[in-house]
Amino acid sequence: MNTQAQLFCAWCGVGFLVLFSIGWWFIAGYIPPMSPAMSANEVAAFYQENTGLIRLGMVITMFSAALSAPWVAAIAVQLKRIEGEFPALTYALLVAGAVGVVVLVVPPMVWTTAAFRPERSPELTLLLNDFAWLFFVMTFSPFFIQNLVIGLAVFSDKAESPIFPRWVGYFNIWVAILLIPGGLITFFKTGPFAWDGILAFWLPFGVFFGWFVVMFPLLLKAIKQQAALASVE
Amino acid sequence: MNSADCFSAVEREAEIKPHVPGEVGIWVFILGDMLIFGLFFIVFVYYRGLSVELYSQSQATLNKNYGAINTLFLLASSWFVAMAVDDMRNKTVKLAPVFLPLAMLCGLGFGVVKIIEYREKISAGITITSNDFYMYYYIFTGLHFLHVLIGMGVLVFLWHRARLAVTQADVRDGAVIEKDMVLIESGASYWHMVDLLWIVLFPLLYLMK
Repeated sequence: MNTQAQLFCAWCGVGFLVLFSIGWWFIAGYIPPMSPAMSANEVAAFYQENTGLIRLGMVITMFSAALSAPWVAAIAVQLKRIEGEFPALTYALLVAGAVGVVVLVVPPMVWTTAAFRPERSPELTLLLNDFAWLFFVMTFSPFFIQNLVIGLAVFSDKAESPIFPRWVGYFNIWVAILLIPGGLITFFKTGPFAWDGILAFWLPFGVFFGWFVVMFPLLLKAIKQQAALASVE
Repeated sequence: MNSADCFSAVEREAEIKPHVPGEVGIWVFILGDMLIFGLFFIVFVYYRGLSVELYSQSQATLNKNYGAINTLFLLASSWFVAMAVDDMRNKTVKLAPVFLPLAMLCGLGFGVVKIIEYREKISAGITITSNDFYMYYYIFTGLHFLHVLIGMGVLVFLWHRARLAVTQADVRDGAVIEKDMVLIESGASYWHMVDLLWIVLFPLLYLMK
């Protein structure tokens, strides 16, 4: 049993949350999110005034994103235990998780590009800023699939003492559905469905971060249960 | 008839300890979903408060009759599902395979009215981007409609289980197995939630003064 490796991967999820919050939130200052209704000059001013912080913050954010890979792998190992020999949902989780890393890595690169030459024409900075935010908030699909397949796998667990309790299945599907409003941001510059809105930003992101908080202790428990079973055999 | 005859094992157990309908997990989903719709409603009422006039003008263009008919459809549908659950609790299942298609028919009626309503609005040039009121109108009713569609799938599944309970009655000694009961209660709870959400959505969008 590789309990240590699994625990390391699970803790990477916590590392992701902490480093991402430090880089994206506290250093770069992207929370609360910028309004999509801001003018080109306002956006350019934001990058001119916070150039250094954004550059530093984006290095950390970019690094933190990849920590979600081991985290997803740790969940995948537990799903594999449920699925057994032909783990279709586990593979789907791994592929979706890999794409998820890309979705989390690209926007910091675009934000840092915006901060790379803050003296350039404001229109261009506006374009980059739009691209980064749209890419970041709107791309719910890999995370939707990620949570959906976890939910389906938990439901398929017919064991007497299941690896995750069944409510975890419902919880993951609930999270999957709540990520969807992000997809609407392309239509709005203001209001709850804009990229800084309560239903398109705060709700999906709050739920996504809450998902880590809920899944982490359950994942640790599942790994320890697996280790206990292995030591009996 | 004494009570031992007309209640299944599930029901007898309920006399001893408190009974949660369906499996506990479905309530994580239902309460979570209702929490989110609750948030939707708060957001709507807040933004409505900022420009009451615009919202009232737009609301006046909605057809209240469609909303009312759909409320009746869902209430009737919920009633049929409740009767089906009640029937499944009996030792011999008789009417559940009839009630469930009737519930589905009501759900279908809801869908047809909804589509007619959307068509009228869109052909009148009113879309999701027309103004804030219509944005909420389309997104909230659209999300609710998605719930109805999922619910129709759930009802088909319940119907299938109910029919199995009847056709396999002799094999199972007439009793509805506990697993069936949990499934039908879970599905019915979800369907009642879809009904409940509409009952809030209807006055909020169509009637609120």
